[in-house]
Amino acid sequence: MTDARITADIRYSVDHKVPGMWHLRLVRAGIPAGTVTAIDATAVDDEVAVITPEDVLPHGKYGCQIADQHVLASEPKYLGDPVVAVVAATEKAARQAAAAIDVRYETSPAVFDELEAVQPSAPLVHAAHVTSNSDSAYFEMRPQDGTNVCHHFRIRTPGLRGRHEPNLLIDLPSPGDDRLADAFADADVVFEETFRTPAASHVPMEPHATVAEWVDGRLEVTTGTQTPFNLRQDLAVLFGLPAESVRVVAAPMGGSFGAKTFMRTEAIAAVAAKAVGRPVRCVLDRDEVFGEVTRHASTVRMRIGARRDGKFVAKQMLAYLNTGGYADCGPGVAQKMGYAGVGPYRFDHVAVDSYCAYTNLPPAGAFRGYGAMQSAWACERLVDMLADELRIDPVELRRMNLLRDGDAFCTGEIMRDTHFEELLDDVAKAVAWQDGRKGKGIAIMLKGMQTPSRAEAAIRSLPDGRFEVHSGTADMGQGSVEALTRIVADLLDVHPDRITVPCPDTDLVPYDTRTTSSRSTHMMSRALAEAARELRNGGTVGRGRIVNEGGLDPDTGEGIASSHWHQGAASAHVEIDDETGVIDVKTLYASSYAGTVVNRPAAELQNEGSMIMALGSSLFEEISYQDGQLVNPNLSDYNIASALDCASIQHRLMESPGAEVHGLGETAVPPVPPALGNAVASLGYRPRELPMSPERVLASRVDGRPAAR
Amino acid sequence: MRIELSVNGNAIEVDVEPTTMLVDVLRDHVALTGPRVTCGVGLCGTCTVLLDGEPVSSCILMAPLALGKQITTIEGIPRDDEVVSCFDRQHAFQCGFCIPGMVLTAKNMVEHGTATSREQIREGLGGNLCRCGCYTKIVDAIEEAAR
Ligand code: FES
Ligand code: FES
Repeated sequence: MTDARITADIRYSVDHKVPGMWHLRLVRAGIPAGTVTAIDATAVDDEVAVITPEDVLPHGKYGCQIADQHVLASEPKYLGDPVVAVVAATEKAARQAAAAIDVRYETSPAVFDELEAVQPSAPLVHAAHVTSNSDSAYFEMRPQDGTNVCHHFRIRTPGLRGRHEPNLLIDLPSPGDDRLADAFADADVVFEETFRTPAASHVPMEPHATVAEWVDGRLEVTTGTQTPFNLRQDLAVLFGLPAESVRVVAAPMGGSFGAKTFMRTEAIAAVAAKAVGRPVRCVLDRDEVFGEVTRHASTVRMRIGARRDGKFVAKQMLAYLNTGGYADCGPGVAQKMGYAGVGPYRFDHVAVDSYCAYTNLPPAGAFRGYGAMQSAWACERLVDMLADELRIDPVELRRMNLLRDGDAFCTGEIMRDTHFEELLDDVAKAVAWQDGRKGKGIAIMLKGMQTPSRAEAAIRSLPDGRFEVHSGTADMGQGSVEALTRIVADLLDVHPDRITVPCPDTDLVPYDTRTTSSRSTHMMSRALAEAARELRNGGTVGRGRIVNEGGLDPDTGEGIASSHWHQGAASAHVEIDDETGVIDVKTLYASSYAGTVVNRPAAELQNEGSMIMALGSSLFEEISYQDGQLVNPNLSDYNIASALDCASIQHRLMESPGAEVHGLGETAVPPVPPALGNAVASLGYRPRELPMSPERVLASRVDGRPAAR
Repeated sequence: MRIELSVNGNAIEVDVEPTTMLVDVLRDHVALTGPRVTCGVGLCGTCTVLLDGEPVSSCILMAPLALGKQITTIEGIPRDDEVVSCFDRQHAFQCGFCIPGMVLTAKNMVEHGTATSREQIREGLGGNLCRCGCYTKIVDAIEEAAR
């Protein structure tokens, strides 16, 4: 049978409609910071329901890691923050009503840049920091009171612990007053640099779409979400209900890449459905999708010390993440960005401070790569700069320092099943590194998987001889239905036609942490193996449960960052037009460790898709703001890669006989920008900021020649 | 205004405002889900339909302009169509949101003989974006269909 995704026999969240539903539109703040002083809705029809911040006050605040957000804002935190909702019988009436509402504000000072936000003089975006009770707050939050920092993650390897240090560093301390200066005592060369990455948009082709409905006192929400169980819990808390009184159905998504995680428009849709006593649908316009959630802009200051022979001695990193007006899962991103920035290398000493900072911009949250992309850019560009300084070949410098089986990572965990050297050799070969390195660059990285987490699954045998798979894994386009079908067909040794996989419905399927961090193939395949084993032992239902334990101490970074590691490398060969600064990508190659591949075409697509998205991040994708206003929220001003950009792409999935299944949803994202950046650098430029637009490339010329016109 | 449109071989009468875009008519009045709105400004191709066999962006085409023309959506393409089969065989999809538009554009390229090389296929897909990044396999599928 032809796949339903080709013939449009699939129903995405945006296709979900129910009879009698009304339509929701949001009125958004026209100021980046301040207070709503008046809402005039007199021009709105009587048949339209108007919901104001006052109406939602009793629900309190929510937030997956920090409880910082009201369902509607009386004190907007960014330009575009929803302040009023209107609900009407038709979409047109809702749009007209939204346009007829007049909101008055009193503005207060705003801050937009992450480095400005951490200055002592910066206006405070939120007066206080309150940790969320949600399961999604899976580690201890370390907000810095009286500052915009809502989480501070630290790594201090054993020799650097227990010292009296400032809570907040705005710059790398000069060696004279650095409390950690002795970490670099054995280094012959110490090198440091600052790197930046901009905010970016996920651009899922399908917008966020939600239908909420109250049925006999229970809330039912059908929505595109990667996090049905987190959403159920957060909605239950908002409405003071037990979790069982909330049902979340995660409809198939037309792409997400992190955009459809945690609470998005579900809370306001549920409030609206209650207010009008009918089902309510909310679909965002494209410009609203751009502002709904973004990728964290970041500034990373990094210092590396090495001996003359190339052996790494110490690394110090200060990372500043711009999480916008609400924290979302920014603290989690800060943590991952912190340890991923160390890279897959051995050091005697590591000190990392990763600060998640509020600003008055749209919120930033989960994004394919989850912080690893931002810090791998810094880590891998800096290794190449150091290689230049030491006059050591960048491949050899990395080889000398790579983590191998039995080595300890900076978190103290002992590495196993490492394949970094093979990956390094593979990507070097792909660009014929041995034949000269002009125009060529390589990069390597490690990335963690959600730890701790829990996956449960059930397989039910149906009277007609088929099997129904109950799994919380959401299909955002990665093809989870197809993967689950294959896995279970294999486990039970039956034809795939006999397997059915309903979409995740919290009333039906057992708990799963969430479909993120490329964890699902790995975790769910093992839970299903258990379920299949139990089913074979008799009965009509088999259940499986897999837990991965771990977590990091927020002060020292000690612990288990990841129960297994995503390992990836990339290489690039480019030419640059010296007059225009335009980069011509001749080859872009990525090699990702896959362990055992379950579904080859789907795995290849994940790898290629990651590379293509990262190519866009490298060369042209960037959200632009002017005084807090998102100025390019559409596909004519914000470009994504087309078929024409992808001719140079090649890749490999590295397998190892009998190895665990490794998720591949993101592995090829982080190494691509620095591989391209290092290739550009080999031609006499010094890129430190993404994307590498022609103007930035020209401005980064090392010989200081003026930019060509 | 009341207009009669020919959609996938059926005559369909709808009552719409003259400025309603064709994609909204197809989704909201004809209950088709194949044409989809992503960009809404004619750049991404998820709303592609064939108008007398030529691909157009139905998000920027006012419905009355389709009067008297044959409108074909993915729902009007037989399941055993060669291009559809090639997309299936090559596994040229992830989320699938862009795929109906890709298939319709590809059909037109294959029929007009403008899918003779991978480079030409890429050119022909310039107006169809895929955020999942399935381009390599999509080009494989169209190449196979054109053989
Ligand atoms: S939605 Fe019509 S071209 Fe993008
Ligand atoms: S398959 Fe998802 S956008 Fe193309």
